[in-house]
Amino acid sequence: MFDFSVIFDIGVVGLRILMPLYAIFIVYQCYAAMRRRRRPEKPLVTLMNTATLEKIPVVLWENTIGRKRSNDIVVEDAAVSRTHAVLLRRSEGWFISDAESVHGTYVNGEKTEGRKQVLIDDVIRVGNTEFQFLRGDEYNEELRESWFFKKPSRKPAIKAWKLMLMITLFHFFMTVEAMFWNAGTNSFSPLILFGALAVVEWGFFSVSYFILRRITFELEALALFLSGIGAILLIRQEERAAYMQLAATVVGFVIFCIIIKLIENPDRIYRFRLPLMIIAVLLLGTSIIFGKVTNGAANWIYIGIFSFQPSELVKVIYIIIGAGTLDKLNTKKDLFIFIGFSVVCVGLLAIMRDLGTALIFFITFLLIAFMRSGDFKTIILAVAAAVFGATFAIRFMPYVADRFKAYRNVWKYAQDEGYQQTHVLTFIASGGLFGVGIGNGFLKQVAASESDLVFGLVAEEMGIIVAITIALAVALLVVYARAITTRSRSTFYSISACCAAGLLVVQLTLNIFGATDLLPLTGVTFPFISSGGSSIISCWGLLAFIKAADERTYSLKR
Amino acid sequence: MKSVLKRSTLILFFTIAFIGGIAFFTVELVVSADDWANQPYNAHISGNGGLEQAGAIFDRNGTPLAQTVGENRVYNDNYSVRTGLLHTVGDNSLNISTAVQSKYRSQLTGYSLIWGLNMPQSLRTSHDMTLTVDANTCGAVYDALSAYDTSGACVVYNYKTGEVICSVSTLAYDPQAPPKINESNEKDYEGVYLDHVLSSTYTPGSIFKLVTAAAAIENIPDLFERTWYCEGSEEIGGNDITCVDGEAHGEINFRQALEHSCNIVFAKLAVEIGAEKMTAAAEKIGINMSFEIDDVKTPAGHYDVSKASVNQLAWSGVGQYNDEVNPMQMAMICGAIANGGKSVTPTYIKGGSGDLLELIGMKKSGSRDMFNPNTAAKLTEVLPDYTYDDFGGLTVKAKTGTAEVGEDKKPNAWMVGFSTDADCPLAFACVVENAGFGSQYAKPVAQTAMKYAAQALKAH
Repeated sequence: MFDFSVIFDIGVVGLRILMPLYAIFIVYQCYAAMRRRRRPEKPLVTLMNTATLEKIPVVLWENTIGRKRSNDIVVEDAAVSRTHAVLLRRSEGWFISDAESVHGTYVNGEKTEGRKQVLIDDVIRVGNTEFQFLRGDEYNEELRESWFFKKPSRKPAIKAWKLMLMITLFHFFMTVEAMFWNAGTNSFSPLILFGALAVVEWGFFSVSYFILRRITFELEALALFLSGIGAILLIRQEERAAYMQLAATVVGFVIFCIIIKLIENPDRIYRFRLPLMIIAVLLLGTSIIFGKVTNGAANWIYIGIFSFQPSELVKVIYIIIGAGTLDKLNTKKDLFIFIGFSVVCVGLLAIMRDLGTALIFFITFLLIAFMRSGDFKTIILAVAAAVFGATFAIRFMPYVADRFKAYRNVWKYAQDEGYQQTHVLTFIASGGLFGVGIGNGFLKQVAASESDLVFGLVAEEMGIIVAITIALAVALLVVYARAITTRSRSTFYSISACCAAGLLVVQLTLNIFGATDLLPLTGVTFPFISSGGSSIISCWGLLAFIKAADERTYSLKR
Repeated sequence: MKSVLKRSTLILFFTIAFIGGIAFFTVELVVSADDWANQPYNAHISGNGGLEQAGAIFDRNGTPLAQTVGENRVYNDNYSVRTGLLHTVGDNSLNISTAVQSKYRSQLTGYSLIWGLNMPQSLRTSHDMTLTVDANTCGAVYDALSAYDTSGACVVYNYKTGEVICSVSTLAYDPQAPPKINESNEKDYEGVYLDHVLSSTYTPGSIFKLVTAAAAIENIPDLFERTWYCEGSEEIGGNDITCVDGEAHGEINFRQALEHSCNIVFAKLAVEIGAEKMTAAAEKIGINMSFEIDDVKTPAGHYDVSKASVNQLAWSGVGQYNDEVNPMQMAMICGAIANGGKSVTPTYIKGGSGDLLELIGMKKSGSRDMFNPNTAAKLTEVLPDYTYDDFGGLTVKAKTGTAEVGEDKKPNAWMVGFSTDADCPLAFACVVENAGFGSQYAKPVAQTAMKYAAQALKAH
C-alpha cells in the first residue's frame, strides 16, 4: 500500500520552505502600506514677506522662526533672534509663540504674550520683518518630495483586512507545523491557541476599524504578526506562557489605545506630567521594596502567579516626560524637569542593580537628550549623561566583569558562562535556512530560550531567513519613524516616535547580538517576540508613540 | 522640526549599525556553521537518528567498518575488528567523543547550512570516509590486548607519512550490541568511553629512559667512554634507588645500561645532567605538550622537577616520580628518533568522498623537531635490538618499561619502539595497565601489532 505519511512529510517540508518567503512578503506589505495614503505634499499656509513679496511655504505643523540656518523658517534680519518664535498648528487654528526673543513678536502690531492665535491675512512681525499670513494654496511652486512616501495618486495600499488575512494565514501555517511536530503528542493544542490568537487579532482589527474608525492598521498588524509568532513558538515550549503572551498582547493593545488617546492633544500632556512622574517613582519604588531578587537584580514584582517588571512601564512614561512640543521644548523649566526626573530614575535603578534595564534607560536618556537639545544645553545634558554612565559603571563593575569573561570566547566556556550562547549558535546552525519545524527545536530546553535567546529559537525552528526578516521588520520601524518626523503634528510626536523606534532597535541589538556573542549577554528582550508580559506591554506602549506620530492616526477617519 | 529630523539621523545610524551587525553575523554563520552545528550536545545529530544518514567508513583497504544498511548502522562483521576499532570509529551513541563518527558526524551526515539538520534524506548528500587503519591489524591486536582483561592501549603508525595503521584501546565493547551501563556494572566498564591511545596518560617507567638518554647524549661529552658499577641498589640523594628486583648489573657501559634498563645508571645521569637541562630536553621532545591529532587534543604529559629533591630528580630520570606520558605521544617520540629527529603528526584519515576532507578542515600533516639528527642517530644505535624477536621480520629497536604505580597495584607494562626498514617505517607504543613486566605483557601485543601492520603495508 502506498505510504501516505511521505506526502505529509513533503507537505510539511514544503511549508517550511514557503514560510520565509511568505514572511518577507508580509513585512514588505506592512511597510508598503505605511508609505501610502498620504496627504499631498502641499503647504499648509504661506508666509509672504510684505517688503520683498517673497512667499515662504509652511509645510510643518510646528515651525521655528529665526535667524539661524537650522530654523524651519529662516529670516535674514539682524533684529531677529537666533530662534525668535514658534509657529504652530493646532486643531483650533494657527498660533505663534515668542521664544524668549530680544525684540518680541507682534501680530497685527500687538506684542504677543504666550501663544497668540493667528488668522488668515494677519500680519506677523519679527524684528524688522513683516509677514502676511496667507492660505496654503497661495504658494504655487512644487515642493521637494520625501522618498519614503508614495505619490497620493498611485494605487491605494493593500486593504487592512487583506493584510490581516495574510497574517492570520501565516499563523495558521505555523499552527499546522506545530501540530505535526516530531514529538507527535498533543496534536490539537496549537489549534486551540490559534483560535484564541485569531480572535485577538480580528478583535483588535474590529476595534480599530469600527469603534475607533481608523483607516490605518499597518503598525498594529506588524506587531500582531510578531506577537503571534512568539505565542505559537511558546505553545510547544510552555503552553501556559503562550496564553499569558496572548493576554499580555490584549493588555498591551489597551495601553496602546490609552496612550494614543492620552497624547492626542500635545499641549494637554503637560497636565499629566506630574501624576505620571509620581506613578513612575512609585512603580520603581515598589519594585525596590517588594521586588524579589532574581539573578542579582531586584526588578520583578510577584502578585500571585503574575510576575511583573515595573521598569518596563517606566520606560514608556520616561519618553512622555522627555518629549515636548516645540515651543516648550527649549525652555529651561522643561529641561530641568527632564534632568531632575532622570536623576531620580537613575538613583532608583542603581539600587535595583539590573544591568539590562539600566543600559536601556541610559540609552533612552541619551536618545531623548540628543533629540531635544541644541546649543549649550547639549553640554549640560552630556555632563548629566556622563554622571549617569559613571554611576552605573561603578555600581555594576564586578557583575559586568563576570559577563565579559566569556564574551567573544564562548566556546572556551561552553559548559559555564558561555553555555547559553554556544547552544544558540549550535542550534541556529542546525536550523539552516528553513528551520527544523515548530516544536522540533532543542534550544527550547535551555534556560531563557523563550526570552533572552529567542532569536536562536526562531532561527532554529523557522530558519535563519525568518529570524532575520522579523529582526529587520522591527529595525525598519526607525526608517518609518524618521520619515514621519516632519509630518507629525508636533515635535512631541517626532521625538517620542524616534526615541521609541530607536529604543526598540537598541533592545533588538542587545538581544540578538547578546545571544549570538557579538555583544555581551545582557538579558534584554526581543520586541514583541520574547516571552514576558511586561515586555510585550511596554513594546505596545512604545509602538503607540510611533502610531501617534503618524498624522493619519488622528486626522483621517473612516 | 527640521532640526529634530536632522538629529534623528543618530537613530538611523543605530539601525544601520544593527544591519551591519546582522551582516557580520551572517558571514560568521556561513563560515562557521559546520563547527557550530558539530557539537557533542547537539541533539539533532545524536543517537541513531543522526547516524542513519551518515556515509560509510572504510579502513585503508576499503573494508567497511561502519555503514548504513536500510535504517540501521552496521559495523564490521568481525567482532574483534569492530570492537577493536570502537574508539576510532565510534558507535551509535556520542559517548566516545574522539571517535570519527562523533567528531565528524555532521560532515558524514552531509550537514549544510541550507537544509540544517532536520531535512529529508533525499535532500542530503552524505559522505564516506576512508581511514588509515588496517582492520586485520586492529582485530588481532584487540584479541591480544583484551586477553589481559585490563585497560590498555596500542598504537602503530607510519612515521614517514603519519598514517596510523593500528589504534586499539581497551576496555571496549561491541558497537553492534552496546551494553547498558548502570550503577551496578559501571565498575566493569571503567574508562570504556576513553580512547586510551589519544586521551590518557600513564606513568612511563623505563621507557622514559629514552628522554634521559637523549639528554645525556647531548650534555655529557664522554658518555660513551664511561662505565658504571651497579650493585642493584644505591643511595642517591638520601634514599635508595633500586634496579628491578634488586638485580645487580655489575660493571656496565651506557649501551649495556640501556639494554639492561639499569635504574642506577640513569638515575645518576639525571642527577648529573641536573633539573634544568633534564627539563629542557623533556620540553624539546614535547613531554609537557598537547598534540592535535585530527581535531583531538592529546593530554599533555608531565615532567616537572622544579620542586623535586635530588632523590626525586634521580627517580624522574627513570620515568617514576610524577612523570606521565600519553601512548600516542610515545609513539610520536619513537617515530621522531627513527625519522632523524623529526616527528610527523599522525592522522587517522586517508580520504573521503566529495569534498569531505575540505568540510572537516583536514590540514596537511605537520611535523615537529624533537631531537637533533645527531642525537636521534646515536639513540637509534644504542637502543636495544629486537630484530630476532619475531617482529614479523622487521628490524626493530625498542625499549620495554615496567612502571611502578603504587603499593598495592601491579606495574604498568610498556613497550615502545620502531622499525628501521625503509619499506615499513613503523613506530609503536603499547601499554597494559596494572599488568606486570613490560617484556612479558606489552611485548606480545607489540609483536602482534608490528607483524600485522608490516603485512598491511607490504601487501600494497
